[in-house]
Amino acid sequence: MNAHRPRRSSLRWFSPRPARTLVRVAIAAIALTLLSGCAEWGFGGSGSANGTVTLVYSLWDTHEQVGYQQSINVFEKMHPDIKVDIEEIPYGSYQQKVTAEFITGQAPDLFWVNTPWLGSFVKNGMLTNLTPLIQASHINMAQYYPQLVALHSVGPKIYGLPKDWDTIALYYNKAYFNKLHLAIPANLSWNANGTGSFVTFLKAATTDKSGHNALSPQFNPNQVATYALGVSNDPQSGWGNYTAQAGGKIIPYPYAPVASLTTPQVNVGMSFLADTLTNAHVIVPGALSGPNANGNNLEQMFSQGQVAMWENGDWNTLAVKTSVTFPVGVATLPIGPVGRVSVFNGLIDGLNSHTKYPKQAWELEQWLGSPQSQAILGSGGYVWPAIRSLDPLFLKYWAKNGIDMSAFLTEAHGQVVNFPVSPGVGDALTEVVNDLGPAWLGTEPTHQALKTAQTDANYILRTS
Amino acid sequence: MSVAAATTVIGKHRTTAVTSNPDRRRRVRTAFLFLTPSLIGVVLFLVIPVIFVMVLSLAQWNLLTPIKWVGFSNYANIFRFDGFGHSLLVTAYYVLLNIPVQTVLALGLALLLNSKRTGSALIRVICVLPFLATPVAMGVVWNWFFSPTGMINQFLAHLGITGPAWLSDQATAMPVIAFANIWQYAGYNMLFFLAGLQAIPLSLYEAASIDGGTKIQQFRRVTLPLLRPALMFVLVTGVIGSFQVFDTVYVMTAGGPGNATKVANLNIYNTAFAGFRIGEASAMSVVLFLIILVVAIAQFTYFNRRTTYEIA
Amino acid sequence: MASVASVTPAARSASAATTTTSRPSLGKGIRLAVFYLLLLVILLVFVTPYLFSAFAAFKTLPEILAQSPARPPTNPTWDNFKTIFTQYDFGRYLLNTLIVTVILTAGQVTFSMMGAYAFARMEFPGRDGLFWMYLATLMVPNVVTMVPLYVMFAHSGLLNTYWAIFLPYVLGVPASVFLMRQYFMTIPKEVMEAARLDGCSESRILWRIVVPISRPIIITATLLAVVFGWNNFLWPLIVTNSNALQVLPVATANLNSNFNSQWNLVLAGSLVALIPMVILFAIFQKYIVRSISLTGINR
Repeated sequence: MNAHRPRRSSLRWFSPRPARTLVRVAIAAIALTLLSGCAEWGFGGSGSANGTVTLVYSLWDTHEQVGYQQSINVFEKMHPDIKVDIEEIPYGSYQQKVTAEFITGQAPDLFWVNTPWLGSFVKNGMLTNLTPLIQASHINMAQYYPQLVALHSVGPKIYGLPKDWDTIALYYNKAYFNKLHLAIPANLSWNANGTGSFVTFLKAATTDKSGHNALSPQFNPNQVATYALGVSNDPQSGWGNYTAQAGGKIIPYPYAPVASLTTPQVNVGMSFLADTLTNAHVIVPGALSGPNANGNNLEQMFSQGQVAMWENGDWNTLAVKTSVTFPVGVATLPIGPVGRVSVFNGLIDGLNSHTKYPKQAWELEQWLGSPQSQAILGSGGYVWPAIRSLDPLFLKYWAKNGIDMSAFLTEAHGQVVNFPVSPGVGDALTEVVNDLGPAWLGTEPTHQALKTAQTDANYILRTS
Repeated sequence: MSVAAATTVIGKHRTTAVTSNPDRRRRVRTAFLFLTPSLIGVVLFLVIPVIFVMVLSLAQWNLLTPIKWVGFSNYANIFRFDGFGHSLLVTAYYVLLNIPVQTVLALGLALLLNSKRTGSALIRVICVLPFLATPVAMGVVWNWFFSPTGMINQFLAHLGITGPAWLSDQATAMPVIAFANIWQYAGYNMLFFLAGLQAIPLSLYEAASIDGGTKIQQFRRVTLPLLRPALMFVLVTGVIGSFQVFDTVYVMTAGGPGNATKVANLNIYNTAFAGFRIGEASAMSVVLFLIILVVAIAQFTYFNRRTTYEIA
Repeated sequence: MASVASVTPAARSASAATTTTSRPSLGKGIRLAVFYLLLLVILLVFVTPYLFSAFAAFKTLPEILAQSPARPPTNPTWDNFKTIFTQYDFGRYLLNTLIVTVILTAGQVTFSMMGAYAFARMEFPGRDGLFWMYLATLMVPNVVTMVPLYVMFAHSGLLNTYWAIFLPYVLGVPASVFLMRQYFMTIPKEVMEAARLDGCSESRILWRIVVPISRPIIITATLLAVVFGWNNFLWPLIVTNSNALQVLPVATANLNSNFNSQWNLVLAGSLVALIPMVILFAIFQKYIVRSISLTGINR
């Protein structure tokens, strides 16, 4: 007799025909699923009920969302039969999530598109070509920055109405420069051989803990209190501007299946930062600026007075405003061998090529590309409107709030180079930044790191 | 033997069974009917995918653009560009950290708890509790325990030791992940050893001690060899499972710090479902499959040559 | 008639490894002390993670950060659970997991059992070959089928539905078939033969005769299926992307990545996933402990 068999009583509630119960339960559950699968339990999403269409609009910036909500409130008043649900998706997983949703047929009707993945979205057929709609609605494309129109076009097709732009400039610590009695000259420049007024100025603006600047023979590079410049290992807000100022390009032309990182011009620009300025101890060393020198620490270092000029894009203005205690100014980038060049970028609202409500989605797209909507976003200080004539609104907002943003505007009206667009370029640039890390950390020669970066970028661009 | 049985035995040797032909055909039909659901499941969800993944490994595809056939180049590229070699090394490291410790612990627990003392039964049961825990949910709990100011470091602080940032330190990240897995499955594996221990007849131990064997000798000469089936089962299933670790890594380190815990399965997941590179991910899957297969077969061969199942 | 009970672990001496002949009582006392010390350590190691997370789920975040994890909550609050159920839809996720697990289990156990019976006690051409195929697929790790299954589901338009979550498992799996087949093989052939001669259909034999005497293995298979379905993470992660369709493991992981250091919320979420399994365990622990060992040794 087996002592381990459980007593009957402990199982009395258990059906003597467990299998039959199992089958009944299975049938009930399957029926439930069939029902629920159809109705999806009323989960919100695109849908229409009694004449009202609900569109899903996705974005990633919590702060800008406030401005967009204001704009959409006006839109909904004008279109009582259209409701818009804003869905925030974190930036880190944005491209993946929208792509996965597109594969399952659940993508939002309108969604923000940033240039790193614009090429992929175009190639995947996720975006609607708006050209015929634009022509039918007689939208004047000349009101937008021509570079933005070019950025989002492939030949005669355009995949979104430009709605904002950004450039890169130098946020600087006014109190620090006042203390040093140093004014920032208007046209600092640098040469391919690493000399020029920019370098001299940076040396004057770098101080060690005993108060000596980098021009002084008593300067102690191991005891730097404040670095003149903080630049990150980044193709948009960091070295991308310097390689452009040297005449180099990340990819040779839009939608190119290869990169062009091993050209002499790119080398000049990259080496200027990773070698010349690093060795002169006037920029934050790669090891301090963040993992792989990605600049994650620079914002905090700037607010703590350890960096005099922080190079980054205008989307950081609110963060700067709230985290620093000193007055902040903005200076233009220096002039390189081919001129003063900034990386130029802007977002569009992609119109889902498989949306269930193309008419209504186009209404929303039109609205967001219109002067009325862009005025709301510009005057609220959220973004620079893509409509040139509305730029003063954004300028005025920040002037009222204590920061003069005209340097960004000066650059936008000057020489700019579009952020590279190609299928897979976002992933390719992630690899490139990883590969450049050693150059910034000084453990690998710059041209070597660029060669590795080129190989990895080529692979991804070729296979995307 | 009953008449019924005898009839059946005779029936087997005739070209037509004692029972009529339509009846037999009906039974065969019923057999296939019984088999159909699981057969569909096996073919559709196991056999076809295995073939399909090998086909996909020869392609470059992201599900939205036309497929491009690229031959075997993915197999080279995953090592050259996707860091798959590193992932395999990291995974092997995890297996080596995890399996030996877990097996020894499971055996130790079984030996300790194979007792009639009060409390043993309760603790035996407690040991199995972690087996049911959702690995993802436990991963969150471990995140909390091993956070820089979490319980483990608080406890170490009492002893005067400053604990490392467990999950952000390249040296400690993988051991912590191995710990999570050991915690979860040591008790579960203990059960197999327990069953094995309990199947060893007392008479063997009596014989051994009569022959003058010490406890340790008894363990080595009697217990261990007869535990081989249990050991084989625990090792083979443990290794196969460990090569596919994903849940805890995803929640606790997401492959970091750096790539220190970017195990193979995570790499495949990122490649396929974040990067939508189906071809490369498929090639990675095939390589991992081959490795698991080779290791499992090696284990089978090793154990089969040396295992005693019967005790006479 | 061979006893079915012979499959359960035989009543050998449980203390085979630890019986001692008479020893001096001091040595015995020390052994006893060490034994119970070890038991205490084991108890602590396996219970404290559950216990402390349960404590933390009822504390506010400042309390969690300030107090030792070992301290029970002084003012236990349901707020964390309220938040995740009302603001973050955890009730929905709990329901999703229940639905999927029930369907998966019911289907998997039923269909595996049918297949197991066919392999164990029915005669039909190709039986052995087919069984070898089932055995072979046991070796196929999940990671291999993940990508191709996703592609297959994508092209059938089944992604992001309940179907996607349970379909690969609901028709029966080789492990379950193998498990129950081994058990059924220990049921003497004569039982079935007698029933057949009496004119019973195979169906009746299975449901009316075999199943009632196979309760232990069926419960084992059910428990294993429930645990698998409840805890399954990777597959639901890749086949669902709507928030509304998340199962608890996926929801817990997302909660963790969105609210990283808000331990109060994140641990409450984990508890929602862990507690039902603990309850299941408490109810069925005799079966779980006894029956998991049925799955392995006698291959």
